[in-house]
Amino acid sequence: MAAAGFLRGDCALALVALSLLAALGSGRCAGQMNLMIPQNVQVHIINTNITLKWDWNSWNNFSVTFSPQYQWLEDYEEDGTNWTELPGCENITVTKCDISSAVTDYLCNYSVRVRAERGEEKSPWSEPFIFVPNIIAEIGPPGVQLESVNGMVKVNISPPEANSKEKMWTQHSFSYNAIIWKKSSNAEPKNRAIYPRDIIHDLEPETTYCLKVQARLNSEAKRGYFSPEQCINTTRASNGLPCPTNVTVHALNMKFLLSWDNHYNNSVSFNVQYLSGFYKQFNEDYSNKWYVVPGCENISHTQCDFSDIGASGNYYIRVNATNGYNRSCSSKEIKVDPCVVNEIGPPSVKVNSGPKLLRIQITCPGEENKSMSECYELSYRIQYWENSSKPEVSNDVAQKSFHTISNLMPSRAYCLKIQAFAQVYNKSGQFSNVICTETLSDHMSPLVVLTTFLIAVVVVLVLAVVIILAIYLSYKKIKYVFFPSCKPPSNIEPFGGQLFSNLYISTSEEPAEKCCIIENTIQEDANPTNFKNYSNSKQSSRDSGNYSNDDDTSGSKVSEETLELRKHLKHDWEHN
Amino acid sequence: MTRFCLLQMFFILLCTMQISTLDCNIPPLQQSKAIQSSLHLLDKIGQAFPLQCRHEHVPFNFPRNILKLRQKDNVKVAVQEMLQSIFYTFSKNLTLAAWDGRSLESFQNGLYQQIEKLEACSLKKIEKKPQYLSDVKDNRLKLKKYFQRIDNFLKDKQYSLCSWEIIREEVRTCLQLIETVTKKYLYK
Repeated sequence: MAAAGFLRGDCALALVALSLLAALGSGRCAGQMNLMIPQNVQVHIINTNITLKWDWNSWNNFSVTFSPQYQWLEDYEEDGTNWTELPGCENITVTKCDISSAVTDYLCNYSVRVRAERGEEKSPWSEPFIFVPNIIAEIGPPGVQLESVNGMVKVNISPPEANSKEKMWTQHSFSYNAIIWKKSSNAEPKNRAIYPRDIIHDLEPETTYCLKVQARLNSEAKRGYFSPEQCINTTRASNGLPCPTNVTVHALNMKFLLSWDNHYNNSVSFNVQYLSGFYKQFNEDYSNKWYVVPGCENISHTQCDFSDIGASGNYYIRVNATNGYNRSCSSKEIKVDPCVVNEIGPPSVKVNSGPKLLRIQITCPGEENKSMSECYELSYRIQYWENSSKPEVSNDVAQKSFHTISNLMPSRAYCLKIQAFAQVYNKSGQFSNVICTETLSDHMSPLVVLTTFLIAVVVVLVLAVVIILAIYLSYKKIKYVFFPSCKPPSNIEPFGGQLFSNLYISTSEEPAEKCCIIENTIQEDANPTNFKNYSNSKQSSRDSGNYSNDDDTSGSKVSEETLELRKHLKHDWEHN
Repeated sequence: MTRFCLLQMFFILLCTMQISTLDCNIPPLQQSKAIQSSLHLLDKIGQAFPLQCRHEHVPFNFPRNILKLRQKDNVKVAVQEMLQSIFYTFSKNLTLAAWDGRSLESFQNGLYQQIEKLEACSLKKIEKKPQYLSDVKDNRLKLKKYFQRIDNFLKDKQYSLCSWEIIREEVRTCLQLIETVTKKYLYK
């Protein structure tokens, strides 16, 4: 009880207590501390087999049983569920127990603890061991099947927990690593990556080879247990058509060519096939996923352009031969990572020279090929030197297709060559041809000065002529519109020839105006004779515009002289 | 109480170990291009989301906070984990999905190429140090739980057309997150 009290206390104190207990042993403790605490509680997991283990010094503790308990925790911070007995592990006498049936959620935290019991006597609980099954689990050995075919060894691998119902490894596929060695020889065992369905080439015929395989989860840095060693005899290659050999890929500017050797006596035709890379990861049979490369079916030549298969990502490519009835085995499969395999050709370059500088225009190699830009972001390495007896090569890097090399000497010959490079792939392209050109002189030659002057003079003259012409034309237009030289026909002239003489400029001698002036005159004449009728005359002047109207409302109050005058004027107006 | 004491000590121990995660750098531009192409192919494999599947949708609760970490390496590990799980999800029973076979193949192949590249990095690493930072493990666990939910959903729905369409939507969101995170964290 005292020890238990300690354990609930401070961290350091608990550790001190633990180490003391470990050092002392049960005999030296007084009272109820006769039983030791089980030490070094651990959980070992291989696939979904979960085993709880602990240490116990049995020499001093006869007839002791153990009762481990477990607890499920949502989080480290929480207290979790109640402590529960582990089914099948109650009162056991051994120091390990299979707890697979209790621990079923492999992504959750579990806590386990153990204590020793002898009759009524009970030791304190051990330190709990907290674990997440998936994190501490180890990968079991995979299943391996070997088959000897035509001088090669076919390998079929089944994943580590293929046959179990519960699965620990449900979210990732494994990669596999094989160790192969020749039996009865001292040759070094070879390590190689292997796919679930793989063929091992390059083996000696009629020789015994042994191998073992291990599954890996690379992203989690987990390496599984090796499968048991298996050995197999290779056979001699069959007498039928041999497989095409020496299959190689050449790629320039994303143009992909496959070539192989023709070592057949009779006429044969070849078939080229490709497979998307990800299938290699699968344990299932994917042999029907090999597609024929368009244009490379039943061909007689030993070359195939497979640029247009349009597979994204990596793929595998293989060739086989047929002569009517017999079909050869397939060649070695070649992995094609397009951006890695491809070589970058020379860029095309144009150079313009200026005084003290060179202007360079670079055209990306294989520009017409879209996939080139999907793979690479190209930069250009420029090497240039003065074309002299002792050339000193300088380097420059262009990120874009237009680049200027400045700080050169005027009137000197310079040479340059350019290569593209893709930094991501650490890949340098081929150099362009060497281009030599001379920078322009710093001073202008008299010829250039003269030419420039002459051009300037010509330009000024042309401009002057154009301006003068424009002014003259507009003068003519204005004159035509506002002051036309044409006269109206003679038969129109008597009826107001004056009006026609100028349509746009109004004259001050309009008939109405004339009338108005006359009216004013009348008023002036009339006023001295008829002061009494001021209001009337005022109205008359207001109505001056309607003066010619026959209905005069001024009536009888108007003097006789005025009427006389009006009559006279009316007659005059009508006459006119 | 004591349990937490020991836990703390365990974490301190873990932290003091020399830790390296992914050793090499996949150029972010390349990765972002590859993800974009995967997204494009994901659109191409099927039609628009069928309306009759809308009511079957369930929240999968992607653990977004794992991509908000400051440490680039952790983000990289998370991206690797996600790509692997997506690839593995799409290599299951797809017969009812009624998707375009060739586009699906290209999608899977593109994803697998990215995984291979990332794995080549981690392979170099485990030759040296098999230790991992605890929060890398913690994040991995969160992601695994997330993909377990997806996995269980597909199983419960017996890999029906609707279940696959819902997962396609979910995976699209995942890939978009990876793309954003690649640009944001790894572009520097």
